[in-house]
Parts: sequence; C-alpha cells; structure tokens
Amino acid sequence: MNPLLDAIRFEPPAPVEFAQAWHWQQQLRERLLNNPAAPEALLLLQHPPCYTLGRGASTAFLRFDPQAPPAPLHRIDRGGEVTHHLPGQLVLYPVLDLQRHGADLHCYLRALEGVVITVLAELGLAGERIEGLTGVWLEGRKLAAIGVGARRWISQHGLALNVNCDLAGFEAIVPCGLKGLAVARLSDWCPGITPAQVQPLLSRACAEAFGLTLRPPEPTERLWGC
Amino acid sequence: MPALSSTMTEGKIVEWLKQPGDRVERGESVLVVESDKADMDVEAFQEGFLAAVLMQAGGTAPVGETIGLIVESEAEIAAAQAGAPSAPAPAAAPAPPEPVAPAAPVAVAPAAAPAAVAAATLPVAAATAAGNGRVVATPRARKLASQLGVTLAALKGSGPHGRIQAEDVERAAGQPASVPRVAEGSAPFIAAGAPSAAGASASAAASASAAPAGQSFGRPGETVAFTTLQGAVNRNMLASLAVPCFHVGYTITTDRLDAFYKQVKNKGVTMTALLAKAVGVVLARHPQVNAAASEAGMVYPATVNVAIAVAMDDGGLVTPVLKEADRTDLYSLSRNWADLVARSRTKQLKPDEYSTGTFTLSNLGMFGVDRFDAILPPGTGAILAVAASRPTVVANADGSIAVKRQMQVNLTADHRVIYGAHGAAFLKDLADLIEHRPESLAL
Repeated sequence: MNPLLDAIRFEPPAPVEFAQAWHWQQQLRERLLNNPAAPEALLLLQHPPCYTLGRGASTAFLRFDPQAPPAPLHRIDRGGEVTHHLPGQLVLYPVLDLQRHGADLHCYLRALEGVVITVLAELGLAGERIEGLTGVWLEGRKLAAIGVGARRWISQHGLALNVNCDLAGFEAIVPCGLKGLAVARLSDWCPGITPAQVQPLLSRACAEAFGLTLRPPEPTERLWGC
Repeated sequence: MPALSSTMTEGKIVEWLKQPGDRVERGESVLVVESDKADMDVEAFQEGFLAAVLMQAGGTAPVGETIGLIVESEAEIAAAQAGAPSAPAPAAAPAPPEPVAPAAPVAVAPAAAPAAVAAATLPVAAATAAGNGRVVATPRARKLASQLGVTLAALKGSGPHGRIQAEDVERAAGQPASVPRVAEGSAPFIAAGAPSAAGASASAAASASAAPAGQSFGRPGETVAFTTLQGAVNRNMLASLAVPCFHVGYTITTDRLDAFYKQVKNKGVTMTALLAKAVGVVLARHPQVNAAASEAGMVYPATVNVAIAVAMDDGGLVTPVLKEADRTDLYSLSRNWADLVARSRTKQLKPDEYSTGTFTLSNLGMFGVDRFDAILPPGTGAILAVAASRPTVVANADGSIAVKRQMQVNLTADHRVIYGAHGAAFLKDLADLIEHRPESLAL
C-alpha cells in the first residue's frame, strides 16, 4: 500500500468559466513541473454552458456552425471528441503526477471510470463501462464523459458527470462522436439529487482511487482570492 | 512512438508542435500523441533540431516506430533528411493542421502520402485521402511508397480492412512483391496466440464468467472496429503465418490427475496451475521444445516460463506468464495465477508479465471441447492446446475394457526448431507424468 499522497482540493463556490478553470489547471501543472515534490490537486466545479473539442476532435460532430456556436466553443489539449459542459454537471479535474500512479494513461482512464462507478454504487446504481469506449453508462445511456491530456505525465482535464443538468444542449453535438448513444443525468434515477450532494462522494471516491489525502489549499496555494 | 500505457500498441499523431528545421530544447514538447481519450505531449530528450517528420499528423504508428528525427546541429538537417526516405521535402510539407480548423470535414488533416516527388503528387494525394477519410497503410508501405514515388491514396490495399501493405506498393511500382513480411511492429508487446478463431476461448482459471449465450462484440447488421487489444492479437496471429508449424496430438488418461486435484483443490490449487506445473517440469527436460527460432538461430531461454491464454470478456486475449513454472511450487503458482488473471481483467499487467512466455498453454477443456488447434504466438516455439477430460471406453493392453477419463492435447510447433520426434517425446513424457506421477507435482 502506498502512503497517502498530499493533494489539494479546490472547490469553487460558483460555476467557473472554462478558460479560467483551464488556466488554473495549467498553473497547478506548472507547480508540479517545477517542483516534482509539489502536492497534487483536484478541481471540482461546474462550468457555465460551453462546448469543448479535444485536440484531434472532428468538427463533424458539431451540429452547429463552429463560427457561431450556441455557447462558447473551446479546442483544448485533451483527447477525445466534442463534449458539453453546463451547470448541473460536475466536472472533476485531477492534476496528478501520473508517474506516482503507474505512468499508464489507459489505466488512468479506467481509474477515472472507476471513480464514477464508485459514486454510482454509493447511490445504489450500477454504472457500466463499454469496451472500446471511454466513459460511464447507466442502462445504455452515457452519464459521464472522460477526456484527459498529459505533459510529462502531469494530467489535466478529467471527467464530467451529469447530475441534474438540462440535456437539451447535448442535442447540438454528437457527444464524444458517438452517434446513437443517448446521454443521461443522475437525476433521472435519483429524483431531486443535486451537485452539492454528489460533490463529496466524487471527491472521496477520487481520493480513494488515487490514494490521496485531500486538504484545502494553504493561503499561498490559492488559485483565486477569497 | 512512445508507449503511453502498458496496453498501448499504436498511437495516433494528433499534431506536430515543431516543424522540420525548427530548433527544439531539451524537455520541449515536439508533438502530441493520442491514444483512446488521452493526449500526451511528447518531449525531446535532447536539444537539437527537428530534421524530419516520418509520420505526419493524423497518422498512426506502432509503439517503437521512428516517427521523426532530431539532429544535434543545423548542419546535419540536410543529411538526415536525405537519409530519411519518407521525410517530405520541407518546402512541400503540408501545413500543420490548425488547432481550430472548422472548415475541415475531418478535424486533422489526413496523413498525406509522403511522396518523393512531393510538389506534384501531394495535392492529389491529399484530395483523395480527404474524400474517404484517411489513408490506412503500414509504416513499411509508407516508407516504400516514398522511396518508390508511389502515391498511397491511389492504391487499394490488400491488407485487413483495405490497409495498404508493402506488397501493394511494390506491385504498384511494378516491382515483384517481396516475400510477405511478418507484420510490422510485432514488437514484444502482447505475445498472444489465439486458440480459437471464434474468440470464445476462456482461461482455465476463469471458471466461466458465464456469458449466458455466445459472446458477441456487436449487434446484427453492425460492423465493429477492432479494439487495440484485438488489433494486437490479430497482428500476432498473422505473424504465425510466416512460421512452418505442424501439429502433433496425444491422448492422456487423467484419472490419477483428477484424483490428485480433488485432494489439493481445497488448498487453493487450481487445475491450471497443475497443468502449467506439469508442462513446466517436462519442458525442463525437453529444452528443445522450450526453444524458439530467431534470425540468429535457435534461442534457448534461460528459464521455463509458461504463458496461458486468457480471453478478455471485452475481446482480445492476453497471455499472462507463470515464470519458472518448473521450479515454482504448486501453491505459489496457483496464487500467482489468480493474481495475474485478476490484474489482466483490469488491464494492469506489466509487459514483463505477459510477454515473457517461452511456451504457451491454451485450455478450452471447460467447454467440453474434445480437440482443437492453437496458433503459435510469435517469439516462441510451441503452444499446447488442452481439451476436456471426458469418460471414455478404453481397451487396456491386456485386452480388458475399462472406462477412463481422457483428454486430448495437441501441440503446435515451429518445425524450424522443434521436429516431430521432439514434440512426440515431450508429449510422451508429459502423458507419463500426468498418468503415473501427478503427486510429484506437489513436491
């Protein structure tokens, strides 16, 4: 058993613009790149509505003109196809030094799926993986999307779990480039559930999966003033 | 192409962050590789200049393949480019895909066929390729195409799913196709010999994770892409076509083995471990059957490592290895095997744990199969297909008739190393051990 690793938990109180959260991840990554002993970090937050494309993603999966998107569109440094973020969806961005966690990107993707499956199990639901596809499904509908990027094994981006968000925005895209696979949200199975209820489950499951001891940031480690 | 995970066999180049001629610092990102839903920035290990890009963005290369050349000084760039046949002339190199390229129907510009006569052929190649997705060709075919000045996009591939093979390029160039090569990148990645083409195989230990009916990876009417693992297994199977294999079978009476198994079962010993141990002990006395062919000659491994084929529920198969099966005690073998199987299901095996087998076992006995043939995994000399043990009416040597439990085993061997007599002598000793002295396996 590895000793538990020090990790900072960042939980902004309100939805965060995608670009801001991306910038925070880059800051956290720089810290780890400059100081290999630096603590790892988890960002747990929600975004205002936006769409993101992986670096190699196809715009063929957009059902709108990329010049005039219905919500801000970002092409970002992760793998995978297009996805949609919006309030009511929890995103978890672990900034980890994957060399402390086996240095295996596929294992990392499976571990992120495992985090969601653990959360669902605590809610009495049996989340599923589909071979060849990355993500977590419930009864054949996709509940969590995953896409990560890494530089020198420092991870960025992560997973998005639909809790009680409006699903209409997903109709503007082919999520993850998977035609014919429906998207779902947790509240379809757990009526009334909110991100605030799921957030602690998600951070705990992530801490367990990666052997982290989570703590709030020290004053010098803060990403935003408060 | 770097390995981003233990199960990765190939990676897609999403983007070159540097162009030929650019200076690169040590630790600076040079390109982005994607595998599944994960991207990784790949950095230079030394400073210098990117002299040549051998695989364009959008292309897929097997792990270990050279995808670009970095030289120490600016002066060496030209020399490296001259020596790198598939490097497109810098002037003709297609512009890198824009980070945001909304106009392109396919996000990443498909790998335009690297062409020696670049200026003239590139636009044509790119146009054709963009029309139907991307050009799928083996790295060797790409290299040859550039050497021979063949435009890949114009070719029809004869490989799996129309993949363009080296032979296709040679034919197009009017050259006699050379002897088919063993699939490229048959790297020591996943040594998997597949016993049954049907894919319905299962491990001996996996006491049937009970698929209710026949397994299928797709629904009727669908075409489902191979997973990375299935692709890796396919390559290894194809590689076996270049090996002169033969088969030799034996019927082994298992009453005594079965009785012994009942005694040790409650101590955690599994039938898989018993068979692996038996095979290991006999292999130690028949080193020829543990050997493999290589270009340098017959390779005699230092140890007897028994690999056992395990089908993955989600397709493909792996061959976890019981190292030094001849010298490891039965109880440790049983524990090791349980651990290997559990970790193979979560895809957490290290390469060392699935690629170091010197002999492979494939067991379909749990399905009641009475005999089958196995395909030889690359880099090894033999694989043993083990069928079910079933009650059989047997005529004894003294003319009496008895009912005994018997199983058929079938050895697939590379005749370059293992001759019929070697295989037969090995099977005779294996049968002798299993029929008369199975208790010795616990010693």
